Amino acid sequence: MFEKLQQEGLISPDSTEKVRVLSRNKLFSLHWELKTILYLGVLLLSGGLGILIYKNIDTIGHQAILAMIALVSAGCFFYCFKQKLPFSWNRVAAPNGFFDYVLLLGCLTFLTFITYLQIQYNVFGTRYGAATFFPMLVLLFSAYYFDHLGILSMAITNFAAWLGLTVTPMRLLSANDFSSQRIIYTGIFIGLLLVFTAYMGDRLDRKKHFAFTYSNFGVHVFMIACLAGLMGNGLGDSYERNNSYLLWFLLLAGATAFFYTQALKKRSFYFLLIVALYGYIGVSYVVVRVLIAANSIEAFYAGLLYFIGSSIGAVMFLINTNRRLKNV
Amino acid sequence: MISYNTKKLDNLTVVNAAEKAFDKTCITAEELQQIKVAYPVDLYTPNPYIRIGLFVLTLVCVQFSLGLFGLIFLAGGEKTMAGLILFYGACIYGAIEYMIHQNKHYKSGVEAALMWMSGGCVIGAVFILADTHVSLSGMSLLFLILGMLFVIRFADVSMSIVAYLAFLTLLFSLFMHSGRMVIPFMLMGASLIIYLLSRKLSTIHVYRHYVNCLKVIQVLSLITLYLAGNYFVVREASNEMFDLNLKPGESIPGAWIFWIFTVIIPPVYIFTGIRKKDSILIRTGLLLVAAIVFTIRSYHSVAPIEIAMTLGGIILIALAYGITKLLLPSRNGFTSAQTEDDKTDAIQLEAVIIAQSFNQQAPQGDQFNFGGGSGAGGGASGSY
Repeated sequence: MFEKLQQEGLISPDSTEKVRVLSRNKLFSLHWELKTILYLGVLLLSGGLGILIYKNIDTIGHQAILAMIALVSAGCFFYCFKQKLPFSWNRVAAPNGFFDYVLLLGCLTFLTFITYLQIQYNVFGTRYGAATFFPMLVLLFSAYYFDHLGILSMAITNFAAWLGLTVTPMRLLSANDFSSQRIIYTGIFIGLLLVFTAYMGDRLDRKKHFAFTYSNFGVHVFMIACLAGLMGNGLGDSYERNNSYLLWFLLLAGATAFFYTQALKKRSFYFLLIVALYGYIGVSYVVVRVLIAANSIEAFYAGLLYFIGSSIGAVMFLINTNRRLKNV
Repeated sequence: MISYNTKKLDNLTVVNAAEKAFDKTCITAEELQQIKVAYPVDLYTPNPYIRIGLFVLTLVCVQFSLGLFGLIFLAGGEKTMAGLILFYGACIYGAIEYMIHQNKHYKSGVEAALMWMSGGCVIGAVFILADTHVSLSGMSLLFLILGMLFVIRFADVSMSIVAYLAFLTLLFSLFMHSGRMVIPFMLMGASLIIYLLSRKLSTIHVYRHYVNCLKVIQVLSLITLYLAGNYFVVREASNEMFDLNLKPGESIPGAWIFWIFTVIIPPVYIFTGIRKKDSILIRTGLLLVAAIVFTIRSYHSVAPIEIAMTLGGIILIALAYGITKLLLPSRNGFTSAQTEDDKTDAIQLEAVIIAQSFNQQAPQGDQFNFGGGSGAGGGASGSY
């Protein structure tokens, strides 16, 4: 193809030669295959050790297993401390392909170790919070010190768990009881805190590349908590006079506007999309609720028309924003 | 054949290749600009995330419109309703062609949503007309025809999956009553033929716009080739469908053949893939190694799960370590280093997967969650 472009006089012979050299020396990369194997290995090993000790908890052998877990963890951390490149507030590349996974294994075995200590010896007594809080500090430290995004997201889920919220991506909706006010407020708080951390990290130039992970968790948790607050007491009915849900709607609208401007500024299509969809769900909920309160067949038709019209409008909106972001 | 303007698609290929070459600093910015002018592309393809949004919103729009029309014609009875849905499906199909020719949409998410809705409407209408008495072969034939139509006109990847699976179902339903013993072999043979065919077609210039569809078909046919001969699948499926009433420990006739297939096929994929430097074969093979482990563990408990996991983990880590060291810096054209692809997105995805598979659940009351390993997981998709 590039020969043809050269004949058409679009590129110089020099450039064609460069392309040719590059494609001749092209290597077949097994990078992601190896990474996946490594990741699965770490997953199986740490999981296996965890179950191993859990099953043998009352037998003689468990101390040997415990010692082994401690050894593995210590060994991993020792390796990381020895191999790591000097710390910096910017992105630090891993010294080699294994570093990240050794660190991951170290952190996971460390978690198993702490949990075991708590169950068997009650090290943290009845202060269950401390048993989650302490590992979180270690995770957070490791994430920053060794520059590891995966560990950072583990620290975030651990932090949320400490406050009583499950933010594991696929279980965010199923594992939390969003009808409880406490969970909703916790979600709002965690979401705000995470978004704020992302914002400040970006602003003060402290591990700027962590901002995405922070705001990814933050925006989802905040928006879902907001929607949960909004939809807290079902769809209401025609006799209802309580309009407190509108306060939630105002909060949601404000947040949507804020996140939207941020997404535009950062030129992030991903955040643009999720914010737009959460906002759309919120607006649609309010419209449906108002129509249900009207309680008539015309309202039903109006609802159908609303969805047809609004979805076309939202499509237009996304297309325009996409164009705007591309042209900036 | 294809609905898109092929000249424009070719231009797109040229520009994409030129951009890649520019990223690797093989060509200069001026040259890239010249190429872009000489090969104009006016197709509308938004960012992948925006595409997801457009897909979802188009689905909402089309469904509610159908609901509105349905409501208006509600009094007309079943036949009218079926006719209306059929007509609606045809209209949606017209809308896709219009979007492509007038608005130059190319893989924008809108077309995909319309395709699913259009196909869904036709199938739904047939279902209503036939009073839900449609045979399996009839249904799969309908799926196959619609899927093929969308693949040929719009080169849609998801529709190629539908068409392929419908084709296999059709074959299966034809043999279901006459020759149940040959079904696994027949499916394996069909998969192999399709695999070889799609490999061949993807190198032919005429079919260049279908390369992505053909790639997906290759992956799928490799997987179905394996599954059709996998001991677990054959035993459980025949037990379920042909009322064999097998008790645990009992086996199907000719079990040894399937055990051989189960164990042999993935390594064959991997070795052939390495020899031909074909990443599809290598990746599918690696994926299916997990299926070997699963199949063997389902019938023969070699070791308790935790021992198996620990040992398996150690073996995998050692294997990855060994191969990486072997390929340092490169050997026989293979390398363990990352070559080109932009890696920022993949790393973010990795972080989400890690958070997912080592999940930290909020303690319920004063109960304590045993952290460390929650096993399974790992296959979490990046988006929500």
